[in-house]
Amino acid sequence: MGWIIGVDVGGTFTDFQAIHSETREMHLGKRPSTPEDPSRAILDGLQEIAAEFDIDLAEVDRLSHGTTVATNALIQRRGGEVALITNAGFRDLLEIGRQTRPHMYDTHLDAEAPLVGRERRLTVGGRILADGSEFAPLDMDAVDAAIEKMREAGVEACAVCLIFSFLNGDHESQIRDRVQAALPDVSLSLSSEVQPEFREFERFTATTINAYLRPVMDAYIDQLGAGLADLIPNARISINQSNGGLMSLGMARSFPIRTALSGPAAGVVAAVDTSKLTKRANVITLDVGGTSADLALIRDTAAKLTYESDVAGFPIRLPMVDVSTIGAGGGSIAWFDRDGLLKVGPQSAGAVPGPACYARGGTEPTVSDANLILGRLSPTLIEGGMTLDVDLARRAFEPLAERLGIPIEEAAQGVIDIVVANMVRAIRTISVERGHDPRDFVLMPFGGAGPLHARPVALELGITEMIVPGAPGILCAEGLLVSDLKESFVQSHRTDLADGALERINATAADLMKQAEDWFGTEGISEADRSYELSLDMRFVGQNFELNVPVWSGPTPERTAFTDVDTLRQAFFDEHDTVYGFHNAEAPVEIVNYRISANGRQSRNEAAAKPQIEAGGGEPSSTRQVWFEGGESVETPVYTRKTLDIGQTLTGPAIIEQLDATVPLHPGDRATVDPLGNLLIEVKK
Amino acid sequence: MTDMTPATVDPIKLEILSSAYKSVTEECFISLMKSAYSTNIKERKDHSTAIMDADGRLVMQTMVSPIHIASMTASLAAVLEKFGDGRNGGIKPGDMFVGNDPHVAGGTHLPDVNLTSPIFSGGKLIAFAVNIAHHADIGGMAPGSMIGGMTEIYQEGLRIPCVKLFREGELQQDIMDLLLLNARLPAERRGDYFAQIAACRLGVRRVEEIIGVHGADTVVASFDELIRRTHARMRDSIATVKDGTTTFEDVMDDDGRDARDIPIKVSVTIDGPSIAFDFTGTAPQVEGNVNVTMNATVASVCYAVQALLDPYMTNNQGVLDAIDIHAPEGSLLNAVFPAAVASRAHTCQRIVDVVIGALAPLMPERAVAAGNGANTMAVFSGNDPRTGEGYVYLETIGGGMGARSDKDGKDCVQVHITNTSNLPVEAIEMEYPLLIEEYGLVPDSGGAGAFRGGCGIRRVVRPVDHEFTFSGVGERFRHKPWGIFGGHDGKTGRFALAPQDGAETVLPGKPSNVRVKPDTAVILESPGAGGYGAPENRSPENVQADRRSEKFSEDYLSVYESSA
Repeated sequence: MGWIIGVDVGGTFTDFQAIHSETREMHLGKRPSTPEDPSRAILDGLQEIAAEFDIDLAEVDRLSHGTTVATNALIQRRGGEVALITNAGFRDLLEIGRQTRPHMYDTHLDAEAPLVGRERRLTVGGRILADGSEFAPLDMDAVDAAIEKMREAGVEACAVCLIFSFLNGDHESQIRDRVQAALPDVSLSLSSEVQPEFREFERFTATTINAYLRPVMDAYIDQLGAGLADLIPNARISINQSNGGLMSLGMARSFPIRTALSGPAAGVVAAVDTSKLTKRANVITLDVGGTSADLALIRDTAAKLTYESDVAGFPIRLPMVDVSTIGAGGGSIAWFDRDGLLKVGPQSAGAVPGPACYARGGTEPTVSDANLILGRLSPTLIEGGMTLDVDLARRAFEPLAERLGIPIEEAAQGVIDIVVANMVRAIRTISVERGHDPRDFVLMPFGGAGPLHARPVALELGITEMIVPGAPGILCAEGLLVSDLKESFVQSHRTDLADGALERINATAADLMKQAEDWFGTEGISEADRSYELSLDMRFVGQNFELNVPVWSGPTPERTAFTDVDTLRQAFFDEHDTVYGFHNAEAPVEIVNYRISANGRQSRNEAAAKPQIEAGGGEPSSTRQVWFEGGESVETPVYTRKTLDIGQTLTGPAIIEQLDATVPLHPGDRATVDPLGNLLIEVKK
Repeated sequence: MTDMTPATVDPIKLEILSSAYKSVTEECFISLMKSAYSTNIKERKDHSTAIMDADGRLVMQTMVSPIHIASMTASLAAVLEKFGDGRNGGIKPGDMFVGNDPHVAGGTHLPDVNLTSPIFSGGKLIAFAVNIAHHADIGGMAPGSMIGGMTEIYQEGLRIPCVKLFREGELQQDIMDLLLLNARLPAERRGDYFAQIAACRLGVRRVEEIIGVHGADTVVASFDELIRRTHARMRDSIATVKDGTTTFEDVMDDDGRDARDIPIKVSVTIDGPSIAFDFTGTAPQVEGNVNVTMNATVASVCYAVQALLDPYMTNNQGVLDAIDIHAPEGSLLNAVFPAAVASRAHTCQRIVDVVIGALAPLMPERAVAAGNGANTMAVFSGNDPRTGEGYVYLETIGGGMGARSDKDGKDCVQVHITNTSNLPVEAIEMEYPLLIEEYGLVPDSGGAGAFRGGCGIRRVVRPVDHEFTFSGVGERFRHKPWGIFGGHDGKTGRFALAPQDGAETVLPGKPSNVRVKPDTAVILESPGAGGYGAPENRSPENVQADRRSEKFSEDYLSVYESSA
């Protein structure tokens, strides 16, 4: 029993958290990322924390890793050379997409061009029909001709995308076998494996992106794997996926698309863990960084998955932790639109030049500048490592205040009001618009700038309690420590929800259970650590949007067969009520997709990490003038977070500073340090 | 307001409120889409939602078609005229109005049904929540209520005047029964009406919540301020264009009856911050169903001006008020009762082309060549042999987008006043007894140019184990989408029948009720689009890309030989 390490590679920093599986000793680390070769920061950082905290790297049992390699390759269009094989007559399907424009009025703005040019889109005869039957056999001569074209073009990867392959993948498998035999170095992505679901454009898009990312992920894992094998030879390495679970390196090589939205997922996983440990079942997360804010909803200690996301302009219909992102962060710039309305973001000053107060050449007013002007942000960040210049912030805000004819502090407050309104609007989208009342939730702010904006957000939504985790700035690394291995299995089968369908439902569920069991075996997950969750995508016959309804979960694949469809129907009605506010009891219901989520528990010790408290007695280190609300500043004591004692209570106004974040405690609010090191804040109504 | 000093709303508060209104129309839009039954709405998103003020002025919208906006504003004007100031029982909390008629209820064609509900605060009318949805059928002589051959409004479906569907919260079941009896697939219609009702109520509830937080006076003042600022912004934009008068003319193919080569003519005058359009010289209204009511003409012109001048401004009453438009009463663009209007979208597309054609010399960088200039529509109906039940499958098909000053026109996309999605091939084949044999672009259909026009869409559809009826409405099937500044014209579209063994038969541009046997496929090809600038100025790299992509034949590419 040794160390478990979480490593989260972000755009600016690579964060580390190490925890000993028995002693619960815990250490944090942070070093600049190395975007040209992200593995370097990981390998260097590991050696660094090993030296600093005296960790024997041979005793590292597990390393869980969150990477943006695939996401960045997709955004920057640096993927591999890809060919696509599809049905005759459908060569342009990927390019036509849904035949829509991204903006109604902007005639110069186009949808993203496909990742595979038309010259690399090759077609073959053969056709499967809507009932899964074969209408025309696969034309093997055409497959061979496609292989020759790929050979000539020297492609690295091939996407195989056929109509109705989610019902019958035979033709795609035949193509795979033929290509593999002829071109063993070309990596293959089959639409029937990447996303075996209805709607061809979305499925083909996911498959093409996967093919495009495979050469990139292969190269990255080759590099990282070699380095880690030397450094931590006894560790099991896993990679974080967008669904909030981990996967093995082998799965990551085959399905790199599953990491495309994994960045924000790890933070939500950590929030889920905190929600369990603090017994706060319903949580809304507010993760605010430099350029954006990520929001997610946790209900009954579980994060909801979504099957509809967009990455780098492409629709991706794969299970992802339902995180919604808006362009509102510390670096977001305030500007006047042509009609004179004041806007904040989505343009951001980023890390370079950064907000005006960073003194790196930025001159535009940003959200961080506003917080600094109001005294909420500390002039000294990262334990003295960086100093902020309040005069530069005020200078940046001068033109804005002048144009509005108000004092600088009021202008700064206005900018924060707008950014808060944007956050509130986004939270309403994930809560109210999906049938949840935010007043039943606790707000958990994290990220460098989350705690700065949480209080007005909570107030606006009627939320009365907030939890600020111990290390809000590196929560993603913590999430990786508590993540489980996870795999999703899906079958698309339209099934009318009638008594006659029971056999089909039970058989399909059993089939998926078997696949999940096989996967557990392959991954070497012991029986005690396995769990299964069965859910169904259902809709009223005639609707085209499905609702995902969980119907069963358990620790073994032995499941009592469903004996009537009424419970399933009722579960669908309940979900429809929640989301749309009504259901139609007479209308027929159908199942579209069957899904199993298989979970392999990784973190066996349920005890939380021990918070480390330093001397200082929880006394304020200084005081400063802070503007909270009402246009007047108040003398406010400043505390250092790591000196606060467990059980200590503070009443606002106060500022609580720590390595990676600043927490303003508004007048009348009460903060208590809980036994796990979280700050629980009661919001004064 | 009785207060002499109206509430002022500063730019910060205004941004917060504007963002809140946007959030309301978006939430209503998504709710309507997700709970609707008809493919038209749920997959193609052919619906829009809006907030209007107590005077019926547009404040905020989420939409797929500017024509919807025209319809929602005109429909509310009809409500105010009929029920305002206590007339006919007045406007009360919990009321909901329904209407679709282009001649008496502000509609633009019958399948677009408007729902409107008032929003009150302290007994005072503050605003309206409005939505519109395109129903896949509204009765009339043909399934889908859209195809050619209609000559008067009565043939096009059920005419709903402006009536109360809810009275103070109470559903008027009699009215609902009447609506449902007059449409094909009443179960689907019921689902769509209820989705619209739920979205309308949601809009009311959300605006009431905003009033609860900010107060009615501030909300009302913010409506004024938003409209005032948009109006000023629009006039500023117009003022950036140099003054002058330009004219342009184009012709529609036909009206599906006897009228052919129907002219649309415009004269545009820019004078400082003012812009005026005069359509005198346009053909009189026609017998066929391509006529346009004035509100849809206004919407089309406003779309074109906004796209050329300022694509990112908020679309509200401030835009409409900044543009002066005249079209002679009784003309194609200001049609009066009993004109048939079902296929007005084609004509609206042509209005946009004509406006852009006229303004192109004044703003060459923003101008685009003619796009597919149509709303190419195909309707398939029959009895599903698997279930014995009737079906109607309606789709509008995109085409080429006109070339632009700095890049090629996009291939295979909806242009200008429409932006509806296609239906996935797998959805079509699961839902209907149809086989899609091809779905791709039409080679050589984009006009050559320094930047080339976009290519049209080709779709080949075959009935499976049954006979179906095909009807279609095409435009630019005889008159090519024109190029500008030396760019070449794009290719026209066509409908054709392809028997398994036999020669293709080309159908007319607006065929109605063509019987098709399982051994025959229907070919749909939408028009391409015009090029921008002379072909000899096309860069060799772009010519090479055209050759590599195999979108163009060697024969076509020879036009560029002089440029290399």
